[in-house]
Amino acid sequence: MAPTIGTLTIDTLGPALDRLTTKLEGVAPELNELDGRLGDGDLGATLEKCARNLREVRPTLPPDLGQAFKSCAMACSKASGSSFGTLLAVAFLTLSKATAGRTAVPWAELPALLGTVLDALTARGGASLGDKTVLDTLEAARAALAGLPEDDRNDPSAQHRAASATVAATVDAFRDRPNRIGRARMFADRSIGLDDPGMIAFRHMLASLGPA
Amino acid sequence: MKKILNNPADYVDEMLDGLCAAHPDSYRRAGESGRVIVRADAPVQGKVGVVSGGGSGHLPTFTGYVGRGLLDACSIGNVFAGPSVGDCVDAMRAADGGAGVLRLYGNYGGDRMNFDMAGEMLEMEGMESTTVLVADDIASAPRGEKAKRRGVAGLLYAYKIAGAMADRPGATLGDVTAAARKAVEATATIGVALTPCIVPEAGKPTFTIADNEMEMGMGIHGEPGLWRGPLKPADAIVAEMMERLLADTGIGRGERVSVLVNSLGATPHEELYILYRRIAQELADKGITVTFPLVGRYATSMEMAGASVTLFRLDEALESLLRAPAHCPFWSV
Repeated sequence: MAPTIGTLTIDTLGPALDRLTTKLEGVAPELNELDGRLGDGDLGATLEKCARNLREVRPTLPPDLGQAFKSCAMACSKASGSSFGTLLAVAFLTLSKATAGRTAVPWAELPALLGTVLDALTARGGASLGDKTVLDTLEAARAALAGLPEDDRNDPSAQHRAASATVAATVDAFRDRPNRIGRARMFADRSIGLDDPGMIAFRHMLASLGPA
Repeated sequence: MKKILNNPADYVDEMLDGLCAAHPDSYRRAGESGRVIVRADAPVQGKVGVVSGGGSGHLPTFTGYVGRGLLDACSIGNVFAGPSVGDCVDAMRAADGGAGVLRLYGNYGGDRMNFDMAGEMLEMEGMESTTVLVADDIASAPRGEKAKRRGVAGLLYAYKIAGAMADRPGATLGDVTAAARKAVEATATIGVALTPCIVPEAGKPTFTIADNEMEMGMGIHGEPGLWRGPLKPADAIVAEMMERLLADTGIGRGERVSVLVNSLGATPHEELYILYRRIAQELADKGITVTFPLVGRYATSMEMAGASVTLFRLDEALESLLRAPAHCPFWSV
């Protein structure tokens, strides 16, 4: 059976992961540099390790999305270094629980799924919206999807366009605000004018996930 | 940087190689990344597993306390950096003898996130596990915000009590968790630092402090303490530490405590005993009985000079668990 248009299945997830891992490997140096200005400079390296581990499990991913996302979570959990790797694992594990036993998820469910992921990351990571972290870009993307007109809610291209525009605007809006959590918090004043590396990582990941 | 090492990037793995080569009857490396140390005979079937984890740079804490009557497995990160979620998962698997696993570690944000995540992943596979956070550093947050305190040298008591309970025939995960919680509740520590230390991967001191200065209340990674000022005589340092510990815990006349006087790395045993001398006098003056004193290097911060004092408030149940047999290459009871 041909993959159903309008749903997330292993046939859309697999190629999306390929694009994501290629992107992460490409932007690793940039993210290391950005992270090194205020943090320990290992964000790019951590995501590169996540990408390598994801590439390894990619051929083994089953059609059950819950199982597939769990494999992705395990893959990211093995990358040590930046806590962003753990957050990525938390995100995948949350998606795994939310999609357990299902082989297809309508695109219209994405905003709800992103909301669940946002809750899990907030609970685990301890950051709040407004702290200038990846959470702010994630929430922007979720809100953009949730606000789409009825006709576009099952259209991944429309979703991607809306999320990309909002995330870019969010990065711009936060640039001149201080970081309020993590190591960068200690250099809050110096973080003003600098993009948060996690938000930039999110923007890159989102860019890679556009419809092929 | 003056350190004995090869490539700084190999610091932790070479240390673990040596640790296991020196003590093959005690330790075995495990886990996909090799960053897990387990008891040579793990898992012990039918016994509740006790697992910890944390960064390198504190030996014998955390990894050193893997042994009989102590920890079953420990995940290890780079110096002052937490272990990965995968390492925590592997440590829990290695410790699982079928009776559940207690995750017992210091209260640090990154470690909490990773261990919680590991617990959640294994829960999906049907493993039962619980968490007890060690938060004994009274300088890291006021008593009203105990949940924010960091875990330091008092980890030793929590490991000992949980490990001893887990060794009792028929002890359940609930029993071991309750014992660990009780131990944490009974533990209070304060440290004083005289010099910084050097993280090998960074190659430079973690902070600067003048030659004639001390910092009261500093954490084991150089986290800022309560005050910094001119170095005081040993007896004056003890006076302040004891005053703060007794005020925080309310330990008083007629009670029994174990005392741990711990070197942060560079401070020699001689100076620890100079501290202990005065601590014993003060406690005797206050009618508090010391039993089971521990003096030495138990939780270090690389080559940092300084010391910490831990009071462990005893009752009969805790004292019997504290005196139960335990063995690891760094400490035997």
